[in-house]
Amino acid sequence: MTYENVKKEPLIRVAKRPELSSKKAILVRLLSVVAALILGGLLVLALGHNPIAVYGDIIKGSLLTPTALKSTVKIAVPLLGAALAIAPAFKMKFWNCGAEGQITVGAIVATYFALFHVDDMPPVLLFTTAFIGAALAGGLWGLIPAFFKARWGTNETLFTLMLNYIAIGFVKYLRIGPWMDKGQMFPKIPMFDKAARLPEVFGVHIGWIIVLALVFSIYIYMTRTKHGYEIAVVGESVSTARYSGMNVAKVIMRTMFLSGAIAGIVGWMMVCGTNYTLSDTTANGYGFTAIVVAWLSKLNPFTMVIISAFLAVLQKGSNTIQTNFGIPASASDVLTGLILLCMLGSEFFINYRFVFRKKTVGGDD
Amino acid sequence: MKKLLALILALVMVLSFAACGESEKPANEGNNDVEGEALTAENIKIGFIHVSDPSDMGYTYNHDLGTKKMMENLGLSDDQVINKYNIGEDEGCATAINELIEAGCNIIFATSFGHGDYMTEAAAEHPEIEFCHATGSQAADSGLSNYHNYFTSIYEARYIAGVAAGLKLNEMIANGTITEDEAVIGYVAAFYFEEVISGFSAFYLGARSVCPSATMITLKADSWSDPVKEGQIAQSLIDQGAVLISQHSDNTSPATTAEAAGLFHCGYNSDMAEAAPKASIISARADWSIYLTYAVNCVLNGEAIVTDWCEGYAEGANFTSPLNTAVAAEGTQEKLDEVAAGLVDGSVHVFAGPWSGYYVWDQTPYECAEGEWVEESETRSAPYFGYIIDGITLLDA
Repeated sequence: MTYENVKKEPLIRVAKRPELSSKKAILVRLLSVVAALILGGLLVLALGHNPIAVYGDIIKGSLLTPTALKSTVKIAVPLLGAALAIAPAFKMKFWNCGAEGQITVGAIVATYFALFHVDDMPPVLLFTTAFIGAALAGGLWGLIPAFFKARWGTNETLFTLMLNYIAIGFVKYLRIGPWMDKGQMFPKIPMFDKAARLPEVFGVHIGWIIVLALVFSIYIYMTRTKHGYEIAVVGESVSTARYSGMNVAKVIMRTMFLSGAIAGIVGWMMVCGTNYTLSDTTANGYGFTAIVVAWLSKLNPFTMVIISAFLAVLQKGSNTIQTNFGIPASASDVLTGLILLCMLGSEFFINYRFVFRKKTVGGDD
Repeated sequence: MKKLLALILALVMVLSFAACGESEKPANEGNNDVEGEALTAENIKIGFIHVSDPSDMGYTYNHDLGTKKMMENLGLSDDQVINKYNIGEDEGCATAINELIEAGCNIIFATSFGHGDYMTEAAAEHPEIEFCHATGSQAADSGLSNYHNYFTSIYEARYIAGVAAGLKLNEMIANGTITEDEAVIGYVAAFYFEEVISGFSAFYLGARSVCPSATMITLKADSWSDPVKEGQIAQSLIDQGAVLISQHSDNTSPATTAEAAGLFHCGYNSDMAEAAPKASIISARADWSIYLTYAVNCVLNGEAIVTDWCEGYAEGANFTSPLNTAVAAEGTQEKLDEVAAGLVDGSVHVFAGPWSGYYVWDQTPYECAEGEWVEESETRSAPYFGYIIDGITLLDA
């Protein structure tokens, strides 16, 4: 071995931490929130505003008036739904980045029923049909990459991601083409008839009840059923799963169908409960933000409720500060980004630590 | 076998919501308690729904200038005006309207076309509040007395800007920088529908009135405000031969892209020569304060606001920014004055023949003979000129 080949220890390296006590882990997370608020505060100061007033406004503008609260819930519900959708897939280490597209195809099918069958179906039948149709559509959209992964081992991240663009492109085609609102001069899909809009409970469409029911269902499904166990085993080791006699291909496809179906249901509530129309932006990035929710909550459905509520407050609140302080949208995006970065960054410090090179006397060189 | 568990759970959910399905939607009343108390310049509250924010330095910036001027005209204080920025053309719009109502607004303005559906619904639900929608076209059809549309005849200012562009093209031809066939204008369009088509057609006809060989290519951004995409589209148009850029989108990125390419530009909404002093010749602008002052005054005086409001160049509702003489061709100002005078006295018609083209929605050919012209914004405030004139190529239609 020549002298040059001896590897020098780097100045800083990253090492896996031994398990951190839960008390310490919580402390790190709290510190990260504080760090986020300080960093964000500096940004707000740089923009020439009072950070405390701006943070106060985020809370006020997202929670403290009836309309604001309703609107925040309307953001949290689909976000939570989308996070629940990707949770089983992620548990299986199947990186479903296609919730956006699965939401969209669900929304397309729901829109079809809402636009063209509103007159010949009573509301409950209409909603149920649209619901089942949206779930099936989302499920099938999720099944495509799962089939290819199971059969030919294709990369699911790229595959699911690409399917998003196809779904959204198809909405654009419908918007400019066959579904364009003929009554207007603008290429958009018409608003749904009042009869095709989901009823509200406590001022928010009933989707929230469905999503809360899903929280429990997914929790039970993932932790108390044979399916959930199979998902976990496939996620840990495909070889182990195969060795213990599981049909891995079947597990992958079944789980992705379920994942896509839940996303499809989110699409259904987006068009029938929130937007009352379909547009290219119906999925509104929820499919991607859901990945953040899923990671931050470590795939625990109950934690997801808290995280998605928190992100909804940030999103609605950042909109309010744009209005009240004239902070540009890009700057308030930076603020939310900083907060998320710190929160995700704390997970890094919980799992890893930095090791500095020790000063050695008479080392290699 | 538990393999149907998910399905069963889903069914349970369906049933549970079917059961809830019968419950009545709670009445959603705004807390407008100004009744009994007369509205004055001291207590009136005004709400605005904007599709972007003033940092676009374009449409919203310009509309905001109108708001400030209106407040000055009427002596209103800052806390009487609530601006909602970056409100998309989706459910967020309904929320924003509700928040404005909750805050006690007596009159609500929305500035983007896609806000229309939500304004229509809110106007029907809240007859005690006035709703004014810029660029929209639903007020007359809705039959609601508290719902109004407004726009300016911006196509006139566009036409004038087009003349300045045409003269610049002539100068480039005379200099030998380009040949006659290379007099290609690139147009960054937000969408393809009447409001945008009316604008680029007016601009093109203005340019062609002085530079007969001028042609135009367009690409759409599918968004009113997307600074990155607008710049990319401008670059793409330049790559495809455009030597002068104009735009119907909210940001200044097309101007700066043209400047970076060493080419020229005509702006919209704000004076874009500030962003691109070496490229931007002139910008077509609207003065929204005229309508805003009028509408708010109507509310204060208890008068009805007209359903469709459209005033033009003669009234000062639209105008062009000062000519950037460092860039413009020699003699441009004189020519522009002449055209502007013609628009005011009615001797110049923007959509005057001869031109041929087709109707954008069904491709029916249309012929506008010499001495004829197509009327615009006479019956509705929103533009409805929907012909694609030969000489204009929609690259992505």
